[in-house]
Amino acid sequence: MSAEAQVKQIEMVRRQLSRESAEALNKIEKDFPDNPKSMDYFYDLYRRVHCEGEAPHGDKKVIGTTCVQVPEELIYAVGAVPVRLCNGSHTFDQLGAEFMPAKSCSLVKATLGMLSSEVASWLDQGGDIVNVTTCDQKTKAGRLMEEAGYRVHHLELPPSKESEAARTYWQSNVNGFARSLESVTGHKITRNGLRDAIVRVGRAQQAYRRLHRLRMSPLAPILGKDVFLVTNAYFFDDIDSWTDAVEVLNDEIERRCEEGFGAAQRRAPRILFTGSPPIFPNLKLPTLIEQSGAVIVADETCSANRMLYDVVNVDEWQLYDMVDALADRALKPCTCPIFVSDEDRKRRLLELARTFAVDGVVYQAFSGCQVFEMEQRSISRFLADEGIPSLYVETDYSPDDLGQLSTRIEAFIESLKARRRRK
Amino acid sequence: MNRFRAFINGADIRRFRFWVQLGFFFLLVYGGYFMINLGQSLPTFSCGFNQPGRAGVCYLLPLQHQTHIPWDSIISGRGLGILTGLLTFLAWLFVFNKAWCGYACPLGTIQDWMTSLRQKLGIRYATYNLDWFTRLKKIKYILLILLIVIPFLMANSVAGLPKLPDDMGTPFCKICPARMVIPAMTGDFSQWTVDFSTGTAAAMTGLGMLVLGIFFVGGFINKRFFCFFCPMSALHSLFSKVALLKLRKDGSKCTRCGDCYRACDMQIREIADDVESTTLVKDDCMMCFKCVAACPEEGALKASFMNIPIYESTEAGFFKRMTKRGKK
Amino acid sequence: MPYFAGIDIGSTAIKVVLVDEADNLFASKTVATGSHFYGNAQAAFLSLLKESGLESGDIGFLTATGYGRKLYREADESVSEITANAMGAKKVGEAYGGIRTIINIGGQDSKAIQIDREGNVVNFAMNDKCAAGTGRFLDMAARNLELELDELGDYHFNLKGAPPVINSTCAVFAESEVIGLLASGYSKEEIVAGIHFSIAKRTVRLVKRIGLEDQIYFDGGPALNKGLVAAFEEELMRKLVIPDIPQITTAYGAAILAREAWQAEELAAEQH
Repeated sequence: MSAEAQVKQIEMVRRQLSRESAEALNKIEKDFPDNPKSMDYFYDLYRRVHCEGEAPHGDKKVIGTTCVQVPEELIYAVGAVPVRLCNGSHTFDQLGAEFMPAKSCSLVKATLGMLSSEVASWLDQGGDIVNVTTCDQKTKAGRLMEEAGYRVHHLELPPSKESEAARTYWQSNVNGFARSLESVTGHKITRNGLRDAIVRVGRAQQAYRRLHRLRMSPLAPILGKDVFLVTNAYFFDDIDSWTDAVEVLNDEIERRCEEGFGAAQRRAPRILFTGSPPIFPNLKLPTLIEQSGAVIVADETCSANRMLYDVVNVDEWQLYDMVDALADRALKPCTCPIFVSDEDRKRRLLELARTFAVDGVVYQAFSGCQVFEMEQRSISRFLADEGIPSLYVETDYSPDDLGQLSTRIEAFIESLKARRRRK
Repeated sequence: MNRFRAFINGADIRRFRFWVQLGFFFLLVYGGYFMINLGQSLPTFSCGFNQPGRAGVCYLLPLQHQTHIPWDSIISGRGLGILTGLLTFLAWLFVFNKAWCGYACPLGTIQDWMTSLRQKLGIRYATYNLDWFTRLKKIKYILLILLIVIPFLMANSVAGLPKLPDDMGTPFCKICPARMVIPAMTGDFSQWTVDFSTGTAAAMTGLGMLVLGIFFVGGFINKRFFCFFCPMSALHSLFSKVALLKLRKDGSKCTRCGDCYRACDMQIREIADDVESTTLVKDDCMMCFKCVAACPEEGALKASFMNIPIYESTEAGFFKRMTKRGKK
Repeated sequence: MPYFAGIDIGSTAIKVVLVDEADNLFASKTVATGSHFYGNAQAAFLSLLKESGLESGDIGFLTATGYGRKLYREADESVSEITANAMGAKKVGEAYGGIRTIINIGGQDSKAIQIDREGNVVNFAMNDKCAAGTGRFLDMAARNLELELDELGDYHFNLKGAPPVINSTCAVFAESEVIGLLASGYSKEEIVAGIHFSIAKRTVRLVKRIGLEDQIYFDGGPALNKGLVAAFEEELMRKLVIPDIPQITTAYGAAILAREAWQAEELAAEQH
């Protein structure tokens, strides 16, 4: 392709991307009445970053991450900013499809599509990425990123987290990652620097946990589509402004709870969302659920709850213990289906379903995400045994199946309503 | 009441523990100077060799004397003595359970001080490789059996074998580091010698000196190094199930994040991984309740006394402690 | 006495059903969806009213279902075709001693629904995005064989010997496969049976995803095709319950749901 044609193509991609994002944002913002006032911070953020292509961190050193298992505190400690690259756009999904196998999952295709398109405004071409060897697709994606010209640190993850050997293996890999960060940035990780980073992320997690807890209220005070937007913003927003914005939102939500204001109908079925992560602009399924009259009150996904819920505990505030503690936080509580056992995920779902008085579970699997697809049977059976109805939806980033999906979602929600009436 | 609860649950357990341990240290090591006497059956290392500072005697010392008893005199006054000793020991244990280890034991406190020193120096701790560690910890039961059986074999001939030599004395005390460390706290270093009067005595006290060396090195690099092998802890664990003070867990609230396991000085993995048990006082547990302070899940871990929760894990408490400690 | 209407706007046909307060089927009508489904739906509804000697004021509540449900503005409420189908099948099934599994083949999808004794949906599965194994596929095949849809049943039963295996259930690929089979000398009877078995096989896989429970109810337009029913029964190895008018079950269910909604509203108004 000639240079001119290439410039033209980039321009087209950019335009399509901005249109896709604007459409999705409109749907989330304008198709629902009574959005919280403090959501404007986030709507505006998405408008600037996704629709207008603003780079979120100016000239700060950005390090791309592709997984919740990257201990981001280490990146803050070397004075850089972590940006999560996992992408939710159908435009990039299509770009990725040009060179990825047809059966790979939309998320991996979109992420690679973005990285190879030169439109990735969040990370300069040739920038640094830390890629965790989780599933096969992500593992190999790390190699493709290198081919696309990025400098990639392959952070090796054990396939099981039960044994002590897996734990020490992972801890030593995280230590290796810390050293490689130091050499890449030329910035030493100091005790004070890491301690501040831990407290900083801790503050963000505390804000998230407060929001999470507020959603337990019997009258849902905020819709799930907004919460997904909030947690998605954590991917790229400045962490301190994000935390402040979430605290402002929390205050408003708390007032709503006190005033008895509901974001959804009083009898709207309460949904727990699990499975493949909804990432903006692909909030197709969450918006469909809430447009059909249900409300998402909690989730178990790596773009929201799994990313922000589990906190780190340091016993001795020295470098050696802090790094190991960060490694433990990333590994031990993780409910990703790439691990051998699904027991923790089941227990987590059950606990969320109980504490959030959930009526049903919606399980999203991106076509091609084998591990979520494979875990589906046992999770569904487990939920059924516990008396919790669930709906399994296999989908991708394309809008083709919207008609089908809406029938299925509505039928599921109608059956939840009928179930509730019977009780 | 709720605010009081929140205050307690938000407390910094380390500081609380530091002061309680200091108090017990003074009481048990120097209490004797103030005419305090808590008896002969204390379930903690209030070393009997620390005279006149001791405010009571570690139960293992009289136990070894009591089991030095001929077979036929068990059903007699001496037998009754064993029984009352045991009952007094159990009464102490019944109330505070293994918190005797985490809050009262002077030898444990000294190890915690060694740990603080190491931490201040920024030297990394050592941990055991869990595989052989689980095997190694069993030594404390062997020690417990030996400290009962050896004195008995000194007084009795079993199956025609000759009696053990009398100069083995109180065999566990001979190798216990507390015999040397605790009296030293009152300036008494008389135990820091090898007794060459007989061969057996020389061997036992020599072994004791070796253990003392290991105690200092091990205790410096490993948290609560000696406690993994402590026969007192083994004796506690035989009865700890019925005690009033308990460490409880609600597995349904646990995310198995391992924060408690990280905090545990005794490397008790079950505290994080066991989601079935409701009471989790493992044999190594010293009931320091650092795990409760480390847990961010509302009510997943709690210390309870007579089933009344006295210290509970809360999200607010977790973050309060994190920001406080992270600031320093 | 008010009547209640259910209108099922499908991809091939629009079905309108009226019921009385006791859920008895009062009148029904089926018309082709065509390209202007809103106008056709409205026309079908009005002409059914006229035929039954009713006026729009006699209708207490109208519930829409099917793909066009949300665009039909005259409806008081819309409900997904799965819920409506379940309700209709449960009501019709009472005459057969109750049913627990529903197989529905529609114009552009196929569904398997499991219901409880009260007609509530317990579990369901739907085909993927494509029209494989649906009524549309049957249409396509009939056209290629130059047959009318209602002839397919007779051809099926005239089969002698074993039918050819049709591998493609994709409506597009199957077309060329059918033409290929014709060219290699298979008779129309054999091909028709082959098509029926291939649809049955595919749908049975769908049903097995949710689990089979007796009795099994088969509805949707293609259930009129006796040959297809026979193929299903053979694949499932049991008898199916086929209603008298299989197309209208979903519309019937919507009408019953309309009656329920109306009663709930009346009750709420009384309590106020």
